Amino acid sequence: MSFFWGLMMNSELLLFSGVLLLSTLLSSISQVMLKRAAMREWGSRKQEYLNPLVLSAYSIFFGCTLLTLLSLKVVPLGLGTVLEATGYIYVTILGVVVFKERVGAKKALAMMLIFVGVIVYALS
Amino acid sequence: MIRRGSRAYTIIALHLLLLVYSFGGVFSKIAAGASFPSMLFFVCYGLVLSILGIYAIGWQQIIKRMPLTTAFANKAVGVVWGIAWGMVFFGDSLTIGKLVGALLVVAGVILMGILDGEDRADEKDELLLGADDE
Repeated sequence: MSFFWGLMMNSELLLFSGVLLLSTLLSSISQVMLKRAAMREWGSRKQEYLNPLVLSAYSIFFGCTLLTLLSLKVVPLGLGTVLEATGYIYVTILGVVVFKERVGAKKALAMMLIFVGVIVYALS
Repeated sequence: MIRRGSRAYTIIALHLLLLVYSFGGVFSKIAAGASFPSMLFFVCYGLVLSILGIYAIGWQQIIKRMPLTTAFANKAVGVVWGIAWGMVFFGDSLTIGKLVGALLVVAGVILMGILDGEDRADEKDELLLGADDE
């Protein structure tokens, strides 16, 4: 009985950790959208801030604050902070896909350290 | 005495900002535990959004005054604060395994910060030089 209870609690933690990881991914996407907007030439100052790209990026980011809050109903704060560090991995991968940035050996090592660290923390 | 505008002054300002930012997580966690809708929820969520705003403005001011690599690398302290506040305010436990995992993450974020800082500094140089050699 306690085993099943433990499994249920665990699956709940798993689900809400997934929500936080999704929120971190979406937040990384919004960052990349803002970077893309900053690289583009806009006609006026007003357009620079009030264009569809920037507005949707901020809307996504705002949604992420709520999604993160929802996940923290179950996810402990320490684990939450550690899971959010995966954002560095998403931003780097998105940089490669969207901006054709190159990832050197050192950056690959940094991503690996974060990835392994998150796994070790989450499973301990 | 630490002079305004000195390097130490900027580092302290950066760490105060990162400390304030870490409380965003604390208020987010309190709001998550509050019933909805309630006064506690809206106050805490309001604080979360205010802290994000303060952080965004503060960060822009800081990176004008210090090397990007230093600023980015120091952000790793956020992981330490998050774990610390989890223990202090919400009774999270810390095991050897979690400590090892956290240290790996912190090392990764510091390294990533240094590398990102170097990349961004290069981009800035290109902009300043007006490099239009496409």
